[in-house]
Amino acid sequence: MSQEIESRMRAALRPVAPREDFSQKLLARVIAGQPAQPKPRRLLAASARPLAWWLTASLAASLILAVGVERHLEQQRLQQSGLEARREVVEALRMTSQKLNLAYEAVKNQSTSLADEKSGV
Amino acid sequence: MNDETWDLLDDELAKARLGERTALAVLVQAHQRAVYSLALRMLGTRDLAEDLTQDVFMQLNGNLGTIESNKHLGFWLRRVTTNRAIDQLRRRSRVQMTSLEDEQPFFSAEEDADPMLQRHLRDLLADLSPPARAVLLLRYQEDLDPTDIAQTLDMPVNTVKSHLKRSLETMREKSLGMQSARCEDSST
Amino acid sequence: MKKFSLPIFLALLAPALAWAAPNPRLAIPEFAGLAQKATESVTITLDPALLAMAGRFLDGNDPQDAATKEIIKGLRGIYVRSYTFDKDSAYQQADIDAVRAQLAAPGWNRLVETHSRKTRANVDIYIMIDDNQAIGLALIASEPRQFTIVNIIGAIDLDKLHKLEGQFGVPKLDIDLSKTPAQGAQK
Repeated sequence: MSQEIESRMRAALRPVAPREDFSQKLLARVIAGQPAQPKPRRLLAASARPLAWWLTASLAASLILAVGVERHLEQQRLQQSGLEARREVVEALRMTSQKLNLAYEAVKNQSTSLADEKSGV
Repeated sequence: MNDETWDLLDDELAKARLGERTALAVLVQAHQRAVYSLALRMLGTRDLAEDLTQDVFMQLNGNLGTIESNKHLGFWLRRVTTNRAIDQLRRRSRVQMTSLEDEQPFFSAEEDADPMLQRHLRDLLADLSPPARAVLLLRYQEDLDPTDIAQTLDMPVNTVKSHLKRSLETMREKSLGMQSARCEDSST
Repeated sequence: MKKFSLPIFLALLAPALAWAAPNPRLAIPEFAGLAQKATESVTITLDPALLAMAGRFLDGNDPQDAATKEIIKGLRGIYVRSYTFDKDSAYQQADIDAVRAQLAAPGWNRLVETHSRKTRANVDIYIMIDDNQAIGLALIASEPRQFTIVNIIGAIDLDKLHKLEGQFGVPKLDIDLSKTPAQGAQK
């Protein structure tokens, strides 16, 4: 019975999301880097602050909220994969060229030797 | 969150420490549910929970340099949230838990939610001392083991276990009482 | 005497024809045993999807990236295996023979086979031609403490490869498609 109660308590106590407008304002403040204000019940009387930072921060926060953490991280993963693929392409072509150079040097040296032999050097 | 997400959040933390505010916002977004829920269930009302949540993340702003990993960040957030909530509660005589009519959910919405259990849980949370309440939430909301709870709250492990045991016993008694009441109802 | 209709005849022949079509993709072994002995190993496997992804991350405004982007445009795969050891003769030629044997298959033409006494490096370069166009390249380089296998699939523009000189240090090889050897690898 204890296990059942514990299981139901865990289910009931799963984290809940705050209100969306609170979330948005919180993100906006974080992005704007504003220090904590002493206790307005309503967050941030916007009229007291320049509009520009508020708008920019709000837009950025809206974007993060809209996209969501998982999606943002998925985009980060894709970017990392793309950059890794690019790195591998560059490395592959670099290695290929390095080995081609070995062949070139061998051919060049052979040509030089043959030329020297012909001219009696 | 799976391991891969944790690793990517480590990357975001590194960027946030270098001053990238968008990375910091991603971390806030990733952790805010846990912080808000702890605050709500410790303090009892949405307004107080929102204030505390805001304060905690603003405090994080100034402490990023001390955070070593996303896992450490989780620990730090839980610790600061519960400690600040305990401090606030010690200044007040009794917590008024959110009324049932409040539109902001106190508990997670489950299809087979047990409203009676939730009521008992809410009563229990209101009756518990602030430290005992924090222990209960860290165990059943955050799924920490007693050792981690002890570390988070700077509390001896045996005290943590004792709080958990008593809370569980109370819940069991209430549930048994609830079952007896149901039996009586059905027999009449 | 039975008469076969032409379409049926061609349909029956199709699998055989498909089998005979040149395939520039080499089957490169895992080299698990050698990988353990190696001090450094490079494994690059770029299929069409990864090449396309890489292309999106190459900066067209950067000369090296732009040149790279041009080269990989017609490619369908790049496969590299390279192992470096801390002493001479840590690997056997037999280890590479499984790959070399595939280059005896129809379609592959040896472009150049070099042996350098100075560097003690042997480099063999093969290309596969189909319809007067290079569709695959295979390079095997064996040095005392390293061997490298490169297999490039797709429409390799050897002219563009020329023009990479200076970007990756690629030399100008005197490669003229009209002078490539006849079908069938030469040993």
